[in-house]
Amino acid sequence: MAERPGDTARPDGAAARSRTRFLPPSLRRRAAIGAVGGAAGGLILGATLSQGWVMAGLGVVVGAGFAAAVRPTRAAYLDTTVSAAALGVPAWALSSVILLPLLAGDQPQWTAEGMRGVFPALAGWLVYGIVMGFLVQALSDLVARVAGPESEPERPPRPEPTRVLILGGGFAGVSTAAELERLFGPDPAIAITLVSDTNALLFTPMLAEVAASSLEATHISTPLRTTLRRTAVVRGRVAALDLDRREVAIATGSASVPAAAASGTVTLGYDHLVLALGSVSNYFGADRIAAVALDFKALGDAIRIRNHVIDLFERAESERDPARRRELLTFVVAGGGFAGVELAGGLNDFARGMLAYYPAIAASDLQIVLVHSRERILPELSERLAGYALERMQARGVTFRLRTRVKDARPGAVLLDPPDELPTRTLVWTAGTAPSPLVRQLPVECDKRGAVLVDATLAVPGRPGVWALGDCALVPDVRTGKTCPPTAQFALRQARRLARNIRRATRGEAPEPFRFDALGALCVIGHQTACAEIRGLRFSGLFAWLLWRAVYLAKLPGLERKVRVLVDWTIELFFPRDIVQTLDVTAPDRSQP
Amino acid sequence: MTASAAGVLVAGAAVGGAGGALLAGAGVAAAGTAITLGAVAGALFAAAARGRARGPGAGLLWGLAWALMLWLAGPASLLARGGEGLCSLDLAQRSFPLLAGLLLCIGAPLGVTVGAFAAPAPDPSGPRHSLGRAVVVGGAAGLVAALLFGRLAVAPELRPAWAGGAGMSVVAAMMRIVVPPAIGAIFGILFQRDLRGYGSSMGWGLAYGMLWWFLGPLTLEPLLEGRGVAWSLEAARPLYGAFVAHAVFGLLVGVLFAVVDRLWVGFFYLSDPLTRQTEGAGARTLLSLAWGALGGVAGAVPFAAIMLATGIFPFVSRLVGSSSLAVGFLVHFAIAALAGMGFGVLFVREAPHLGAGIGWGLVYGLVWWLLGPLTLFPYLLDGAFEWTIDSAAAAMPSLIGHLVFGAVTALVYLVLERRHLEWLKLDPRVAAREARLTRPVGTPAPALWLVVLTLGIVLPILLG
Repeated sequence: MAERPGDTARPDGAAARSRTRFLPPSLRRRAAIGAVGGAAGGLILGATLSQGWVMAGLGVVVGAGFAAAVRPTRAAYLDTTVSAAALGVPAWALSSVILLPLLAGDQPQWTAEGMRGVFPALAGWLVYGIVMGFLVQALSDLVARVAGPESEPERPPRPEPTRVLILGGGFAGVSTAAELERLFGPDPAIAITLVSDTNALLFTPMLAEVAASSLEATHISTPLRTTLRRTAVVRGRVAALDLDRREVAIATGSASVPAAAASGTVTLGYDHLVLALGSVSNYFGADRIAAVALDFKALGDAIRIRNHVIDLFERAESERDPARRRELLTFVVAGGGFAGVELAGGLNDFARGMLAYYPAIAASDLQIVLVHSRERILPELSERLAGYALERMQARGVTFRLRTRVKDARPGAVLLDPPDELPTRTLVWTAGTAPSPLVRQLPVECDKRGAVLVDATLAVPGRPGVWALGDCALVPDVRTGKTCPPTAQFALRQARRLARNIRRATRGEAPEPFRFDALGALCVIGHQTACAEIRGLRFSGLFAWLLWRAVYLAKLPGLERKVRVLVDWTIELFFPRDIVQTLDVTAPDRSQP
Repeated sequence: MTASAAGVLVAGAAVGGAGGALLAGAGVAAAGTAITLGAVAGALFAAAARGRARGPGAGLLWGLAWALMLWLAGPASLLARGGEGLCSLDLAQRSFPLLAGLLLCIGAPLGVTVGAFAAPAPDPSGPRHSLGRAVVVGGAAGLVAALLFGRLAVAPELRPAWAGGAGMSVVAAMMRIVVPPAIGAIFGILFQRDLRGYGSSMGWGLAYGMLWWFLGPLTLEPLLEGRGVAWSLEAARPLYGAFVAHAVFGLLVGVLFAVVDRLWVGFFYLSDPLTRQTEGAGARTLLSLAWGALGGVAGAVPFAAIMLATGIFPFVSRLVGSSSLAVGFLVHFAIAALAGMGFGVLFVREAPHLGAGIGWGLVYGLVWWLLGPLTLFPYLLDGAFEWTIDSAAAAMPSLIGHLVFGAVTALVYLVLERRHLEWLKLDPRVAAREARLTRPVGTPAPALWLVVLTLGIVLPILLG
C-alpha cells in the first residue's frame, strides 16, 4: 500500500494546474495569431480613421482578444469572418464612442449626433472585423498545418486519487458524500465511493406517513444515483473489513440476501473509511417478540405495516366473532418516542378513516394502543408538550399504556408488564435501537450498546483514516461533555464536519472538533396537529403542524421528491387515503433465479 | 435535398445574377455590372456557405450577412467610387438603396436557395423535423403575435398593415387573419431545424422581422400601391417606427414559436424514457435563473456608470413614483437581475465559447433596448410610446449601456455555466450529451449577430 494521502499534504494537482491555466500554450498561440490578424486589420483602421496609430494598436489588441475567445475550427472561414465582423460593433462602441473621446478629454460620443460623427469608425471597425476574422482563420489553419493542432495545456501527472469509502446509505453516509462533493467540486484528485444496502436514501421523518397511507412509498426515498453527482454507488453489504490492509469486501447480491450467501463479492480499498452504518431495532434479547413484531426502520417496513393493516381490515369485515374481530383490529405500538408516537397517530387517522368503507366494523372494535415504559411519552420534548400530545391523541382515539413494558409476545397476543395480555395480530416495535451489529465485529473500541467510540473530530482513535458518525458512533459533545443523541439532525451536522475534516486531512491540516447546538424537535401527533420545540420556543396544534411540513419538505432531498410529496399532500386534502393492498403480506419472499 | 458542389455553385451564380438583374431593374445599379458582380457574389457565397447553410433558414441568415458584408466592403466604404473619402456617413446614406437591394435581391434569395440545396439529412438522434409541426406552430405563433401586437398602443401608422394599421376594410381584415399566420408558418418552415433554445429563436425572429421591414413597407406595399420600391433614404426615414414594429413582431413570433415548439418536443419527444435527460429541465432552469441573476447584477454595474453619466437614473426612479437617485439605483439593479434571469432561461447551452456568449449577449442587449427605452419605459411613465427616429435618437446613449449590459451578463453567465459543466463532464456519457446539446460551431449564429447588431445600430444613425 502506498503512503496514505490522508496523512500528509499531497502534491496538489489543482495548484499545479492553476499555474498553467493562466494563459496556457493554446491560448497564447491563439492570441498571437489574433494579434497578427488584428495588425493587418488595424492597418485599415489606421489608414482610414483619425488617431491612426492608436486605432492600429487597438486593432492588434481586439484581434488577440477575439482569437483567444473563439475556439478555432478548421476551415470555418464564414463563421470566423462573420463573427469578427459582428464583434466589430462592440469594439466600435467601446473604442470610438467611449474610450477614445475620454482619452482625448471629451465626453463619450453616445448621443445620436455624436454617433453620427463617429459613424466612419463603425464602418471601419466592421470592415476591420471582416479582414481580421478571415486572416485569423487562415493563419489558424496554416499554423495548425505547420505546427500541428493545438495541444491541451500540459497537466502535471495526476496523482492517484485519494479514495474515500463510505459505508452506509443513510442520512450520515449520504450527507457525508454530498458534502465531500460540494467541497471538492469536480477535482479528480479524490474518488468517493458509497456502499449501501439499498439504492435510495430514505427520508425517515416521513416514514410514518407512508405506513399511514398518506404518502406514496417511493416519494420519500431519493435514488442515490441521481442525488450524488460524482460518487460511485455500490449496492451491497459489508462482508468483511480489514482495517490493517485497508480493504473492505462487499457482497453485491440482493439486499434481501445475507452477505454470507451473496453471489458476488468485490473488494474496495480506501485511504479514508467512513463508518455510517446506522442502527437496527433492538429487542434486548427478546427473540419471541422479534419473531412476531414488525420493525419500523426501513421503507419496506412501512409498506408492510400499511398492507398488514388493510389486510386485517378486510379479514375483520367478514369476521363474525366480535372477540376475534377486536383482536384483528387491535394495533399495538411499542415505544413512546418520536417514531412510536408519530406512527400511532398516523395509524389512528388511517384506520379510523377506513371505517367508512367497512360497514361491518364498528368504531368501538378498533384500538390503537401505545405501550410505553416511562411515565410520559416523548421524553425529547418538554413535559407540557408531551402532555398536550397525550391529551390530543387520546381525544382522537389512541389508547396509552404508560409505565408498561412489552414483556413477551406470541401470535395473537402481546404480554405486558405489569401483567396483562392484549389480544392482537399487530405489534410494531419502536421501543429500542442499537448500532449496526457489524460495528461490534470491528477491531475498534465500542460502548456497551455497540457504538464506535470516536474523538471530538469524529476520528476513530488509533485508526488513522477511519472515521465514524451517526447512529453507529458515540460522538462526544464538546459543549456539554455528554454524547450526541443518535438523531438525523445530529447526523447531518456530523457529516458536514467529517467531510471538512477529510478535506483538512488531504491538505495536511489538523481536523477540527464537532460542535453543534440542537435546533429543536418536531413531532406530528395526528391530523393537522403537531408539537414543536425550537430553540426553547414551544408550538402546538395547526401552526406546529404547518411548521413540521414546511421544515421537513424543505429538508427532503431533491426538488422532484418535494413536488411529489406536495402533490400527495394536496391530493389528501380532497380525496380519502388509498386503501389498495399492494403487497400480499402472507406470501413468502421469493428470489429470482 | 442535397446537391453536388458544382450544382450549388451554379445555382448560387444564377440566383446572384438574377438578383443583380433585379437591382438593375430597381434602378440602383447598372445592369451589366450588377448582373456580373451578382453572379460572382452568388458563386462565392455558394462556395463559402455550402457547408454552413444547413437549411433554408440558416441559409437566409448567412445570405443576409453576406449581403451586409458586400455593402460594407463595397458601396459603403472601401470600394466607393469618386474619391469622396472612405466610410463617410454621407456615402453610406446615399448607398442605402443598395443596402435594401442587396439584402432583398441578393442575400435573401441566395441564402434560401443555397440552404435548400445544401441542407444535409436531419440528425436521426434529435427530435424529428416536421413540416406539419412547423406550419401549425409557426402559424399559431404568427397569429398570437399579431393579436398581442394589436393590443399594444402602437400608433396605427407604425403598425404593419396586417397588424391593424390599414383601417377596417374587408381586405384589411382578411390580411390580419391570413398574413400573420402565413408569416409565422414561413418562419417555422425556415427555422425549425435551427431551433435549440428560446433565445436563439428570438434572435432568428428579430432578424426575420427586420427583413420583413425591407420586404413589406419598403418594397411590397409601395409596389402593390402602384408606386416603385421605397428604398431611398427619404422614403425609409419616416418608416423607422415600422422597422421597430417589425423587429418586435419578429421577436414575438420567434419566442412564441420556440415556446410552443419546445412544449411539443417536451411532451412528445423528451417525455419518452428513451430520450429523457438525466438532469431534469426544472433543475437546469433553476440553476440558469440563478446564474442569469448574478450575470444581470454584474452587467448592471457598468450600465449604471453610463446611466449616471447620462442622467437617466431620475427617470428610472419615476417607475416606482420616486425621484431619489438611490431608489433609481435599486430599481435599475432589480430590473437588471430580472433581465439577467431572462437571459439565463433563454440562452441555455447556446454558446460554445466566450466569443459566442458575447455575441448572444449583445443581441440580448439590443432586444432590451428595443423593449425598454423605446417601448416599456415611456409606456410605464407616460402611458404611450413612440417608435420614431427622434425617440430612438434620444435613447442612443442607453443603447451603448444595453449592449455593455448584455455582453457582461452573458460573460458572467457563461463562466458560471461552464463551472457547472465541469461537474457534469466527470461522467463521459453526460459530457457527450452536454456536447451534443450545446450549440456547435457552424450554425448561423454569427450571421445573426452581424445582421441584427449592424441593422439595429446602423439604421437609427443612417436614418436620423
